Amino acid sequence: MDTSIRSTVGKSEQRIDTVEKATGRVRYVGDYAVPGMLYAKLVTSTEAHANIKAIDTTEAWKVPGVRAIVTGEVFPFHIGPILADRPPLAFEKVRYYGEPVAIVVADHEHQGKLAASLVKVEYEQLPVVNSVKQAFETGAPLVHTDSGQYMKIISDVYPVPGTNIGSHIKIRKGDFGTAWAACAETVTATYSFNLSDHAALETRSTRVEINPAGKVIVHSCTQSPFTIKKVLNQFFSIEVGNIMVHVPLVGGAFGGKGTIQLEPLAYLASKAVGGKMVKLQFEREEDMRTAPCHIGFDATIKLGVDKGGKLLAGQYTFLIDSGAYTDQAAGITRAAALDCTGPYDIPNVWCDSYCMYTNHPFATSFRGYGHPELTFAVERTMDQLARKLNMDPIQLRLLNCIKPGDTTPTQSVLTASNIGDVEKCMLRAKEIIEWDKGERIEVGTEIVRSKGISMIWKTSTTATNAQAGAVLIFEADGTVNVNCAAIELGQGTKTILGQIAAETLKMGMDKIHVTMEVNTQYDPHQWRTVASSTTFLAGQAVLAAAKDAITQLKKTAAIVLQCAEEDLDVGGGRVYLKPDPSHGVDFKDIALGYTFPNGHAIGGQVVGVGKHIQRHLTPMDKETGFGKPGPWWSVGAQAVEVEWNERDYTYKIVKAVTVLDGGTIINPMTATQQMRGGMYMGLSFASTESFIFNEQGVMQNPDLRNYQLLRFGEQPAEYLVDFIETPSADGPYGARGIGEYGVIGMAAALANSLSVAAQVELNELPLIPEFIWRTKKEGGK
Amino acid sequence: MIAFDFNYFKPSTISEAVDTFNEARERGEKTIYYSGGTEIITFARVNKITMDTVIDSKGIPECNVLEIQGDKLVIGAAVSLNKITESNLFPLLGQTVKKIADHTSRNKITIGGNLNSQLMYREAMLPLLVANAKVRIAGKEGEEVLPLEKFFNKEIDEGKFLVQIIIDTQYVDLPFISLKRTRMSKVGYPVVSLAALMKNQRIRVAFSGISEHPFRSAVVEGVLNDRTLTVKERIDKAVAKLPASIVQDIHASAKYREFVLKNSLTDALENMEGIK
Repeated sequence: MDTSIRSTVGKSEQRIDTVEKATGRVRYVGDYAVPGMLYAKLVTSTEAHANIKAIDTTEAWKVPGVRAIVTGEVFPFHIGPILADRPPLAFEKVRYYGEPVAIVVADHEHQGKLAASLVKVEYEQLPVVNSVKQAFETGAPLVHTDSGQYMKIISDVYPVPGTNIGSHIKIRKGDFGTAWAACAETVTATYSFNLSDHAALETRSTRVEINPAGKVIVHSCTQSPFTIKKVLNQFFSIEVGNIMVHVPLVGGAFGGKGTIQLEPLAYLASKAVGGKMVKLQFEREEDMRTAPCHIGFDATIKLGVDKGGKLLAGQYTFLIDSGAYTDQAAGITRAAALDCTGPYDIPNVWCDSYCMYTNHPFATSFRGYGHPELTFAVERTMDQLARKLNMDPIQLRLLNCIKPGDTTPTQSVLTASNIGDVEKCMLRAKEIIEWDKGERIEVGTEIVRSKGISMIWKTSTTATNAQAGAVLIFEADGTVNVNCAAIELGQGTKTILGQIAAETLKMGMDKIHVTMEVNTQYDPHQWRTVASSTTFLAGQAVLAAAKDAITQLKKTAAIVLQCAEEDLDVGGGRVYLKPDPSHGVDFKDIALGYTFPNGHAIGGQVVGVGKHIQRHLTPMDKETGFGKPGPWWSVGAQAVEVEWNERDYTYKIVKAVTVLDGGTIINPMTATQQMRGGMYMGLSFASTESFIFNEQGVMQNPDLRNYQLLRFGEQPAEYLVDFIETPSADGPYGARGIGEYGVIGMAAALANSLSVAAQVELNELPLIPEFIWRTKKEGGK
Repeated sequence: MIAFDFNYFKPSTISEAVDTFNEARERGEKTIYYSGGTEIITFARVNKITMDTVIDSKGIPECNVLEIQGDKLVIGAAVSLNKITESNLFPLLGQTVKKIADHTSRNKITIGGNLNSQLMYREAMLPLLVANAKVRIAGKEGEEVLPLEKFFNKEIDEGKFLVQIIIDTQYVDLPFISLKRTRMSKVGYPVVSLAALMKNQRIRVAFSGISEHPFRSAVVEGVLNDRTLTVKERIDKAVAKLPASIVQDIHASAKYREFVLKNSLTDALENMEGIK
């Protein structure tokens, strides 16, 4: 590992997008309008499950300015990232309330919206599958009658035809049955919560045009520009090279902009009007009702220990509410299985993770990709087990925490490099939350202060060939442009990549210009900006590109300085002679090649190119789950302290703690901010967020009047963040991924603290006072 | 974005407003008066309301009054909730409306708009009910002053519009309490909201959030003021005598609302009677 003193990596550099954002100057996709641009508006389903009998567009066509009305027959095929099971526009059947049924294209947005409201769709209602439990029952109505026919886009997906199972992932490690029978103590518990929203500030938006040469030009707020190309190629038969995707800064994504929904619709809309540019932007209600959301979850967990409290066996049954289509929920089903145990060493593991079709809006990735959900169930079970064993919950966790040398549920071997130190994280979190002062303290009449903890882990389940590339282009003044397809969505990734470039080139951050916009035509391929993978993948690519640039700089400088390349080093914007740093040449004099006094020139522009691809990842075995799904596991410990009122059941969140081992922290301030943001998001979804469906499967709160988020002022009074830095040998400067981790343990820690406060087991979300009241009244049953 | 077209009028006198309304109505147009517009905008953009014509009352001087006139506090219908709170002319009203929506919205939401809301909450009404407020109404036949209840029980023609609210100043400085409980957040629709005044040692209290309309009930007040009973007995009896059954919706179940109501009443009684 590089042990030299670092100038930028490890420092809290100011985010490079701050000033633009703070002054309100950023232009997001939806902020652009072009003369001649048309507007698309969707007609969406008013039924959760129904046959489409007829679509009458007569009245809609009477609205001035309407140019096209597109219905499902124009593209009666299925698309999807993992299992192709979703028609972009419903045809024959609708499977959720809010599903796109038709697109109206008009000169102005208000014309399109009015016309969309006048399209009359005649439905024939079908029985509604309104929960995963109902979906799982034998004889339940089927959401998809032909799931066996759907094309698999990724190999690890196993639909069970004739049922509502969109995918079934199995983990079989050790001998669960025998081990379970031998356990001295066991615990079994069941958990559940409903689907919810990402609620990014920027609603989803896209513009698509097909130019006269046949090139498809897409502008989108996406986390996956190259996936847009893949989808348009795979399902719409457009040559990959003829698709260009532009992505400006994205106004929050949280996984919700990782999948592809709007772009194919806008493409069909553009095609219907001769390729003119068409803008499709969701209003808030559409973003909540029609766009993909956060999964719902049901879990049953059984844990067994020996007399000393050492875990021997764990069984995990996950029912993931993927809604009407599997989308990324099929991948989440797999991710939840492969990390099902949480960061614990358990020799005998049995997991059945089911992706369940229901007549709810379809679900996609949500920050943490299955981990906030499985962690809620696992960590609640650990607390209940500790109570049964009459053991301190931290002690139980430390006794069982996973370490290098242990294996994961998929039997991946952990090493000192590929996993962080979860024990150290827990001990530090214990200190910060002042655990030893008491887990439950009555601080006045009616008021109880209590603490809850959670350990977390997650690997980055990228495609096995996930990769990123970077190009560093030197300017005439010796400064550097960094170009790569990492998307800035508020997580600070462009700043981190700038720091990696600056550190490697030994230049100041003020000499590095990171291109904010992504353009698939000149940025090298990058898998996607998801899965906490960008610092690792794009970071390595930038590092490699910087090294490539250094080689070029030295080559030219060696000629100028009449020495060998090995004699040279770079720093401070110069290439200099190692034994005599005063003898050197400035970058500006060689950035565009060197010109001798006689006019002769050599070298040419310095253009550093770098790339990185995942190494040795494999799919999982269908029957046992065996495989190597991810490159590393970042780990951590989180804690929450609440002040709960035992008279009215309300509570305040006093403290939220994260101690994370994500390897080297490139920027402590932005990393801390990521943890705070993650904790906020986790606490919001755990405490108050949930979609509510009526008996017909119709969403009752697809608007921010009735769908509540944690508001400003309701966040924890104190966020406390610390890092343990066990470097990763593979990562840039020893870094692993950290983006999602703040969110992962929050639901568990909050539920654990409230369960301790109310002295009742709280195994559902959201943790609203009414739920605590009801559970307490029902005696915890 | 509101997709449909509609006419917009901003009259500067009451009579002009009334004339505009009647003319539009004679043309067969669905016509509504408005002031802040928050509900119209948010409902119209999701097609929950439609209209052909709106009449903006913000340009009418009488609708913008906020002052003591003799022994009356007069509040124009187009006065924003934040202005009422900041004026502190009627602290119970100021505190109650401060709990509606959020600060930014309250810059636009007016008292007239809240009192005429399509939603069941209309919390601005609670202090007015316990203060026996009157309303000044304008219509084709001219203006009249009516008891608040008469106007809001929809006993009058919808072509009439609310100009002002008139409150006897004897009520504005009485001891009071305003309580609001929501599902979770400080901001949100009430599971229970109540406003109470203490006059001549008797508690006067009005409620929102627990039934389809805000209400004040003589029976409930009678029980709550029966000091021969304990606080708990009074509350149990009062809840048993509510004028309408407790609602159940996505924000709270009826049972939980009852629990919260009892807690809120306990807080209100203990506070007003100085028990705690």
